[in-house]
Amino acid sequence: MSPSARRPAPAAPEPGSEPGAGQRAYGVVRELIGRLGPVFALVVLGAYLSIASPHFLKTSNLVNITRQSAITAILAVGQTLVILTSGIDLSVGAIAALSSSAAAVLMTQRFSLLGLQVGPASFAAGLLAALVIGALAGALNGLIVTRGRIPDFIATLGTLTIFQGIALIITGGLPVPSHTTATELKGYLPKQMIWMGAGDLGGIPIAGLVALLAVVFGWLLLRYSVLGRMVYAVGGNREAARVSGINVERTKIAVYLLSGLIAALAGFVLAGRMNSANALMGSEENLRSIAAVVIGGTNLFGGEGGVIGSLIGAIIMGELANGLNLLNVSAFWQRIVQGLVIILVVVFDQWRRRRFAA
Amino acid sequence: MAERQPILRMVQIDKKFPGVHALDRVDFDLEQGEVHVLLGENGAGKSTLMKVLSGSLPPDGGRIFVDGQEVHGLSPERARHLGIGMVYQELSLVPALSVAENIFLGKPQRTRLGTIDWPRIYREAERSLADLGVAIDPKREVRRLDVAEQQLTEIARVLTARPRIVLLDEPTSALSDAERERLFALIRRLRERGVGLVYISHRLAEVPMIGQRVTVMRDGRVVGSLPVPQADEPTLVNLMVGRRLNEQYPKQRTVPGRRLLRLEKVGVPGKLREVSLELREGEILGVFGLMGAGQPELARAIFGMERIHSGRVWIDEREVRLRNPTDAIRHGMGLLTRDRRQGLVPALPVAPNISLANISQLPLPSPLRLRAENRVAAEYVRSLRIQCPRPKRPVMYLSGGNQQKVLLARWLASRARVLLFDEPTRGIDVGSKAEVFALMNRLTGSGVGILMISSEMPEILAMADRILVMRGGRVTAELAAGQATQEQLLRWAS
Repeated sequence: MSPSARRPAPAAPEPGSEPGAGQRAYGVVRELIGRLGPVFALVVLGAYLSIASPHFLKTSNLVNITRQSAITAILAVGQTLVILTSGIDLSVGAIAALSSSAAAVLMTQRFSLLGLQVGPASFAAGLLAALVIGALAGALNGLIVTRGRIPDFIATLGTLTIFQGIALIITGGLPVPSHTTATELKGYLPKQMIWMGAGDLGGIPIAGLVALLAVVFGWLLLRYSVLGRMVYAVGGNREAARVSGINVERTKIAVYLLSGLIAALAGFVLAGRMNSANALMGSEENLRSIAAVVIGGTNLFGGEGGVIGSLIGAIIMGELANGLNLLNVSAFWQRIVQGLVIILVVVFDQWRRRRFAA
Repeated sequence: MAERQPILRMVQIDKKFPGVHALDRVDFDLEQGEVHVLLGENGAGKSTLMKVLSGSLPPDGGRIFVDGQEVHGLSPERARHLGIGMVYQELSLVPALSVAENIFLGKPQRTRLGTIDWPRIYREAERSLADLGVAIDPKREVRRLDVAEQQLTEIARVLTARPRIVLLDEPTSALSDAERERLFALIRRLRERGVGLVYISHRLAEVPMIGQRVTVMRDGRVVGSLPVPQADEPTLVNLMVGRRLNEQYPKQRTVPGRRLLRLEKVGVPGKLREVSLELREGEILGVFGLMGAGQPELARAIFGMERIHSGRVWIDEREVRLRNPTDAIRHGMGLLTRDRRQGLVPALPVAPNISLANISQLPLPSPLRLRAENRVAAEYVRSLRIQCPRPKRPVMYLSGGNQQKVLLARWLASRARVLLFDEPTRGIDVGSKAEVFALMNRLTGSGVGILMISSEMPEILAMADRILVMRGGRVTAELAAGQATQEQLLRWAS
């Protein structure tokens, strides 16, 4: 992480120069392009797809896109917080899988506890358990990064595997509940959980509403809370944050904890949608959430960006996957196209930043 | 007198930085076999002029002639080609490479097979060092040399290119008297060979020792140019300082009040040794020292950023242990870092940068009070005259002086009572400097105590009530204001 990459420092303007009318108009245009870069990508892609496929703009398809984007969008909220502090959380998908697998086991199986037969746990208990497990897993990430003094990338790469391993042990490598194969893990997930993943409210998917709620939470946190301000300060200039008295380590732990908590929520929704949880189900989402954040315009070196962009980034990813399906592009090619789009959007974003800085 | 054409002539050189007119139509020339001393305080424009001449900074206007030929679009490459060699004030050596490798950096001697000719490199490096009268092993790594040896290596490097014009930017600041004598002997030999030298210094005593002509700069202008025999010390001081001394440092004396901060035999391994001091309400305690004497470490230790290994610290007569800046701020302290970039969050606007030290003391889930924050920021923008056209603009687009004021505003807003200022006027323009000093007066007037670290002697002599001089991590002297002189400061510091 070179300081020059983090801190573009163009020549300061002549102090005291009042912007003229022309300059101000240019400033407005600049600001629009600056703010709306990701929206622009979203609209262009949407326009193309609605011309290319007659099915794209149908309500049923839009609902589909919402469902597909929701998981990524929820995870991207936590990921945005982490990336804003110039960290990265590779383990969000694994946390989602671990917490929802554990919750699914709790909600479908019976246990003997101190000689008493308990369970299956209720929906509320299951959700609470998932959130607690997610928060603990996230806090562990934060502790490893800060106390262990190792790069965020390595720490969460390690825990990614560890969490997957724990989830495999809990589930025995099987889907929970298993509807077809095994005999052991039978049962049914609570209907509220399935409703969260697959239900809708007046035509709007619940998963989408949950994602929206998560985004609003993230937005409020970043904009109106002390923690949010600290996140920008730590990511924008760690040394300055420290000199100003900010406890950098505590801030990072808090952010990883929140990321884990939000990941647990995403996992719950995902398991509800699939009507079953398994240990490896979120593995695609680790990188998708990072891609959504970066496409949304948040600086990978930290300090600049926000959750609204990440939401748009997640929708772009969902829109793209959906569109490629509609256009009958093979799943193999889809991966190539998705990769190219991630690169292109970020290349465009970098160019835009240089050209229309602040 | 014979019609001698100067080997170098700079005419009406102009250079502006944001907020500073660094060079204001400067004329300068240099003859063969001459040492032309360039005098001036820090920030007078000497180094800028030399950077223009060595091609590392393009001027906004003016013309440069070498041997009577006008030179256009001077680059460092081109300057080297024209025989201009520059010894920088900040060392530009690569620490992990050997002395010889540094001397021949970028101009490796090759054998006929195209491989690097190590024996020749070592031989020639040894010879050029011997020319300087020093015995440094050319195979040693530069980082194992002391500052003086590094300085001499740097000079040797420039001289191997056999330049005809040599620019020396404060070459003696790290040298002992004996080393300085050797350097002067070398300069005399170069003169005999017809080399012209520009010698930048702010040590007046060196002018008659080495120079033939002296030019004095102030605030980006040449204020006088005269032959050395006519340049006695009072004349030069007058030229250097002008009438500005009183205007620029509007020091107001206050009666020191209660003791705010006390250190007793504070030690940080390898950095500070048995430092004791006290700071009272309304007082400015100056700390002076040459580079590497431990002044920034002192500020960092007091502010909880260096682990204090031995000794004790009291704030308001209560003994404290400061583990981190959060503790220090809670006890009413503030630190203005030497490098502004260490203090600012560049992508955030003015208001969040000002409120940062207040916010850091709050619990994480508390809400921000944005309206109050903006109101406070607007007050400081007005009262400190911070120039920021749009309040939402990130602070990275402000000029250095305005950035410094934002940092000052942070500690005003946090109501700090002990302020640690590490080079508070470094790299800011003259106008902002005066405002910073005025603000320091206002602060001491309201009972704040300021520890002011500065390497600029005029400023520390004018502003401080007492001055501690440091050397090698120790306090070597405490001098009372009004009695201390530049000579005393330098004597205790070196």
